[in-house]
Amino acid sequence: MYQYITGVISLGLIYVIATVGLSVFTGYTGLFSLGHAAFFAIGAYTAAILTYFYGFNFYLALALGAAAGGLVGFLIGWPTLKAKLRTDYFAIATLGFGEAIRVLLENLPITQGARGLPGIRGETTLPVLVVAAALTIWLAWNLIHSRHGRASIAIREDFVAAEMMGVNVFMGRLRSLTFSAASAGLAGGLFAHYFCFIQPSMFTSYMSTQMTAAVVAGGMGSISGPVIATLIFIGIPEALRVANIWRLVAYGLLLVLIMIYRPQGLMGYRELSLDMIRGWYRRVLKGGKP
Amino acid sequence: MFVQTLLTGLAIGGIYALMAVGYSLVFSILNFSNFAYGSIIMLAAYISYFAMTKLGAPISLAVILSILGAAALCFLNERLAYSPLRKRRASSLFFMISAMGTAIFLENLVYAVVGAHFYAFPAVFTRTNLSFFGASIAVLDLFAIIFSAITIFALHMFLQKSRTGIAIRAASYDIQVCSLNGVNNGALIGLVFGLAGGLAGVSGTFLGMKYIVYPTMGWITNKAYIAAVIGGLGSLPGAVVGGILLGVLETFVSAYVSSVIRDVFSFSLLVLLLMVMPTGLFGRFLEEKV
Amino acid sequence: MSPTMEGTLHSDHVLELRRVTKRFGGITACKDITFDLAKGRIMGLIGPNGAGKTTAFNLITGVYGVTEGSIALEGQAITGQRPDRIVRKGVARTFQNIRLFRNLSVLENVVIALDCHETYLLPASFLRLPSVRRREKALREEAMRFLEAVGLEDKAAARADSMPYGLQRKLEIARALALKPRLLLLDEPAAGMNPEESLDLARLVRKIHDDFKLTTLLIEHHMDVVMSLCERIFVMNFGEKLAEGTPEQIQQDPDVLKAYLGEGFKRAQHI
Repeated sequence: MYQYITGVISLGLIYVIATVGLSVFTGYTGLFSLGHAAFFAIGAYTAAILTYFYGFNFYLALALGAAAGGLVGFLIGWPTLKAKLRTDYFAIATLGFGEAIRVLLENLPITQGARGLPGIRGETTLPVLVVAAALTIWLAWNLIHSRHGRASIAIREDFVAAEMMGVNVFMGRLRSLTFSAASAGLAGGLFAHYFCFIQPSMFTSYMSTQMTAAVVAGGMGSISGPVIATLIFIGIPEALRVANIWRLVAYGLLLVLIMIYRPQGLMGYRELSLDMIRGWYRRVLKGGKP
Repeated sequence: MFVQTLLTGLAIGGIYALMAVGYSLVFSILNFSNFAYGSIIMLAAYISYFAMTKLGAPISLAVILSILGAAALCFLNERLAYSPLRKRRASSLFFMISAMGTAIFLENLVYAVVGAHFYAFPAVFTRTNLSFFGASIAVLDLFAIIFSAITIFALHMFLQKSRTGIAIRAASYDIQVCSLNGVNNGALIGLVFGLAGGLAGVSGTFLGMKYIVYPTMGWITNKAYIAAVIGGLGSLPGAVVGGILLGVLETFVSAYVSSVIRDVFSFSLLVLLLMVMPTGLFGRFLEEKV
Repeated sequence: MSPTMEGTLHSDHVLELRRVTKRFGGITACKDITFDLAKGRIMGLIGPNGAGKTTAFNLITGVYGVTEGSIALEGQAITGQRPDRIVRKGVARTFQNIRLFRNLSVLENVVIALDCHETYLLPASFLRLPSVRRREKALREEAMRFLEAVGLEDKAAARADSMPYGLQRKLEIARALALKPRLLLLDEPAAGMNPEESLDLARLVRKIHDDFKLTTLLIEHHMDVVMSLCERIFVMNFGEKLAEGTPEQIQQDPDVLKAYLGEGFKRAQHI
């Protein structure tokens, strides 16, 4: 039982790392990445290949996996963001990118194609995940509360006005994309060393969809929101033993309902804070507004 | 080989053209990419499939049911998922999320309810191939080309000559001025979605007949987005030309280079065009609604 | 807190437009627009709707590229530069339909403007170094001072779009001031206001101009605001210059009266 619970928490933390990164990109900068699973895959394969074929140190491999993800994000981002693609076409372009990576992974000799890479060292433990998640959240939080983070928020709110406030829209978007790609890469590396086996078909649009849904449901403009949403998305189906397919039906419906009735998601533009918890506590205890 | 490839390309190009026109109709009025359009096309294919197999309907009736069904669904989609956002003047980001949510919801609902089986249409034409300049063309493809051409021509006539059609064209230039001139915008938008749905009925059925019917077949609509960019965003004739051109180019790449990179080619073409020539062949590049 | 202009002044004119022309396909939105704006002056840009006034603003701020002609800020060419670069060089602009960051607080809106001249680096942000923490505190304090200057200090934590229209306008102006510009472009700041509000706004613009000695270019349709604030007026019609001069000259100009102000305007002035 303990094994099972730690398993669910571990999976949840892996996704939290990737989702926090994505929330910086989608939630704070306002652009969609429908092929984000590709960065996850790049991190997974880079880290796995380094430890499996070349005997690299686990932590170094993780760092390089994250760096690989970030680098690819930067390289893809430069031309596509320079072109100032509208949000919807940028999303379509990311889809194409995801597709390109999939083709690549299935056809390069070193990745062993569709067969995948088995026998990866299982070095991802719960303590490692907790530290990695805390680190990612800390970095993201610092970024958001700095002038660079504010630039991203301004871009999401109104990129025309942001430009008129001296924000370099291209650089702001590129920064966010690179950070989110790197964190997805880190999550991927951890993923590979947790399941000890990876193949291209594991990194599908389903994964990208779940991450985007968690960001939207958790609240664009919040970090704690997507963290909570991710844990709920991973945790509840496991608890209820609901089949995968219905989970996706629920995600789809949830996205539409959120857009119509509560576009700010769970946390809105705020973070979970002590004041907030105290406020709920008082309300529940006293049965009314404090 | 050349003529054969060309004919095959034209056949798929015709279907792309239909999808691209349906997509562009909505895009030109509301300036947003309806990501749920693919799932409407998919549902249209299912409708005609079940009409033929469960109800024993002949192909003509199946297509009509499909047109009506898809039109109704597309209209409902707008009413339920988009018009609340439109009334709130939400930014394009929210529309996109709602569209994505709808697509995910519909695709997975079909998966869950009908199942993941692939369905093949019963053969409709007794003679499968015709000879044409030393190459053979499937009767189905020829029929698809002709029927697509007729449908597009009918739409063209409607938009040019009828009062409603003119209202739609006016709305594609400036929807606010339209309502000042007495056009009921809500009804007009509903009608446009209905029209787009009707077109989906035709393209969905042909896609299903040409290939197979399965829940995620709607992803082929990505080609429609690419076709619309080639022809020029906001231009309906452009969508037709773009669709045909894309179909032909893709088929040539698939035949002469490699079928594996066909989709990567199309997406790369998209990104390249958006960077270098965003107005496409005939289009007016529409600024994103902030 | 007045904008500093030591040393690098190449010209007495803060803004120079020379034969600026903008064509969109077949439409000429601006044709051969030429004028100078001297340091410390307030100039009005008026004309009927569609005359090309906002286009001129968009050209100056770099949102549109010029088709022909040149634009210089304090003697330095800024034609064709990226908008955010031009803003950092010292041009601030408000929008006709207010473009505040609606979901953010009043204070945050101003802080973002102050970020424009901040320079701490990305790695420092990620690690939240003590220097960053100090700068962040300083930014917030400075933002509060700007809010005090326009009387919005008690709304600092409120959501930008929760305020009444008049206060949102003030916030937009506060934000523009926080950019520490050498040139302020106000696009119809009194739009949608009743006579008292317009008067209030005119007083605010006058106060800002006097306190900060800020060179200002103003698009407005409220003639009382224009005539009372501006030292010089440039009139546009159909994208071209119609007239230029002092308020008195413009009010007498027959072409202007015919095209825009209306014959009745001249008579009304004497009431």
